[in-house]
Amino acid sequence: MSETVPEERWGAERSNESRRPAISVRGLTKTFGDFTAVDGIDFDVPRGEVFGFLGPNGSGKTTTIRMLTGTLRPNSGSADVLGEDVVRHPDRVQRRIGYMSQKFSLFEDMTVDENLKFYAGVYDLPAARFAAQRQYVLEMADLVGRENELTRDLSVGWRQRLALGAATIHEPELLFLDEPTSGVDPVARRQFWDLLYDLASRGVTLFVTTHYMDEAAHCNRLAFIYRGRIIAEGSPAEIRSDHMDQRIFAITTSRADPALQWLETAPGIDEAYLSGASLHAVVPADSSLSEAGLRDRLATAGFADAQVTEVDPTIEDVFVNLVSRQR
Amino acid sequence: MSLKRIRLLIWKEFIQLRRDPLLIRLLLLMPVLQLILFGYVVAVDVRNLSTAVVDLDRTATSRSLESAFSGSGYFTVTRHVGSENDLRPLLDSGTVKVALVIPEGTQDRLTRGETAPIGIIVDGSDSQISAIGSGYAAQIVAQFNTERRDALGIQLAAPGIDARVRVMFNPTLDPINTMIPGLIAAIMMISLLAIMSQAVVKERESGTLEQMFVTPIKATEYLIGKLTPYAALATAQMLLVAAGGMLWFKVPFNGDFWVVLTGLALFMLTCLGLGLLVSLVSRTRHQAQQAVMFIMIPTMVLSGFIFPIQSMPAIIQPLTNLIPLTFALQVLRGAFVKGSGFEALAVPMLALVGFGVVIFGAAIVATRRRISE
Repeated sequence: MSETVPEERWGAERSNESRRPAISVRGLTKTFGDFTAVDGIDFDVPRGEVFGFLGPNGSGKTTTIRMLTGTLRPNSGSADVLGEDVVRHPDRVQRRIGYMSQKFSLFEDMTVDENLKFYAGVYDLPAARFAAQRQYVLEMADLVGRENELTRDLSVGWRQRLALGAATIHEPELLFLDEPTSGVDPVARRQFWDLLYDLASRGVTLFVTTHYMDEAAHCNRLAFIYRGRIIAEGSPAEIRSDHMDQRIFAITTSRADPALQWLETAPGIDEAYLSGASLHAVVPADSSLSEAGLRDRLATAGFADAQVTEVDPTIEDVFVNLVSRQR
Repeated sequence: MSLKRIRLLIWKEFIQLRRDPLLIRLLLLMPVLQLILFGYVVAVDVRNLSTAVVDLDRTATSRSLESAFSGSGYFTVTRHVGSENDLRPLLDSGTVKVALVIPEGTQDRLTRGETAPIGIIVDGSDSQISAIGSGYAAQIVAQFNTERRDALGIQLAAPGIDARVRVMFNPTLDPINTMIPGLIAAIMMISLLAIMSQAVVKERESGTLEQMFVTPIKATEYLIGKLTPYAALATAQMLLVAAGGMLWFKVPFNGDFWVVLTGLALFMLTCLGLGLLVSLVSRTRHQAQQAVMFIMIPTMVLSGFIFPIQSMPAIIQPLTNLIPLTFALQVLRGAFVKGSGFEALAVPMLALVGFGVVIFGAAIVATRRRISE
């Protein structure tokens, strides 16, 4: 397997295990003192999928990743990663996985080449394979000709892509990405997701955490974690249909703040919150409220310029709904 | 454990060190600067104490007493004043550090065989100067008495002023002979504490530490890869100080090379351990700096590096036993100045073993737990 082109090598030695999930977690629990960061979660990540692990900050995403990557011991429960018990044999798992955090984790006082050389050495890559991988990463990150620049001098988008290259220099079968797009501009985020799709198309399983709900749509499967528990799991479509039995109205008005206050207490409306530039009002599925009806009520309440449109629930709507039910 | 990965980690560490030109300059400059500071500034001050003379006797005896002071090399007579009242402003302003007052009738009293009091006023604001200055002065006076007696060839009823200072070591009282060996240990402590802890904390801040432990790198490999470059660096600095001290300042080395090496190796364990502990408790490089200051200031003050332990209040003296540098100084100064061997230095050596085992052991255990927690 050492002299093939990179495109083909990705995904090697996978066929015999392809039916087993890449990650299988049962009753995984981690406490820090009195605080239960992860509370008996169960989930499976099938091979070759882009799995989105969603939740607000502090909900247990990073703690879960740290247990799955073998850097944190759970208090109880089991976690099988790539067919190995990661709690008992983290070293067997660690050479087959990749990890990239929101900090991009490059040595900033080292050059592009030195960073790649270091991570290749860590995984003990043979020289020929390193040469091929290095070339692939440089092209992927658009850094050909800039090999001797210090990574601290690269701008965010390049640093992010280089970090992805460094994290995948050993061609892992499974890649963990902890908030990989936080602090990156929208264009770079889109380019980055293209690279992730590229990896996924080669059969690499991706485990991505994010608190950007719009990124959830990029995933094959999602799990919502909230206060250490998984509160919903499935494909984006499943999650929308299983957990959303309510209707959503999008409202735009010049006086969003008082309108929001009014909606929060208005009878017949379950929930109201800001979503992007508009307000979302949630009503029960069997509500007889129409766009025009709501607009009239808003006008009566003093919001004459209000525009009301019924919209399909987004993943964010589902998530807000789920969280409010938990409270 | 993989030797290859350890080599890789060391390679990485040296590349990063090389990329910090300010740090390299500091690492080289610090020993040189400290050599100059402690070598010249301290040495010159005690050797040529500016002295004022109030000669109210104006006799052959008083003149020869004055020349005994000025000829000693420790005192340089910079002023002659007419009365004791004129001394105060000179001492207050620091123009002179020492004043010699020879009262009227000193020669007559000595001739009559009586004790002749003379006044020596030493600026007490600097304990170093006052201790050493008064010691020298007493020695000079004692010597003067002896010479005078011998010259007369008679036994006098009164011995004159008999103030003899006994100096336990460093008989020439040349402070550089004790300063340079101490500096070797102090440099190592500063380097390992300040620079290594910064390197570890920097890695945590940037997230690369977290990243490395998701790879096959083991905690032990990381620790060896981190400690080795800084131990090498500290060794280079120590060699620089030792070479500078012995070649330039002619500090004698009377001791056993192996004693010094053993003492430094044991003390290095303590320093590496402290450096790791600092990096464990600090989340930012700024905090690490503060933690290093928190350790270094009591260390410098209480270890006897600058202020002699014997001159500290009795209540404070036991505290000096809590400072690892205290024992490293005892070993190094003992070996350099007195040529002491392992037997004579058994107590400080054992203390260093104790500190080394406890501090280094605790640091390794805590770091490993933190990493694989």
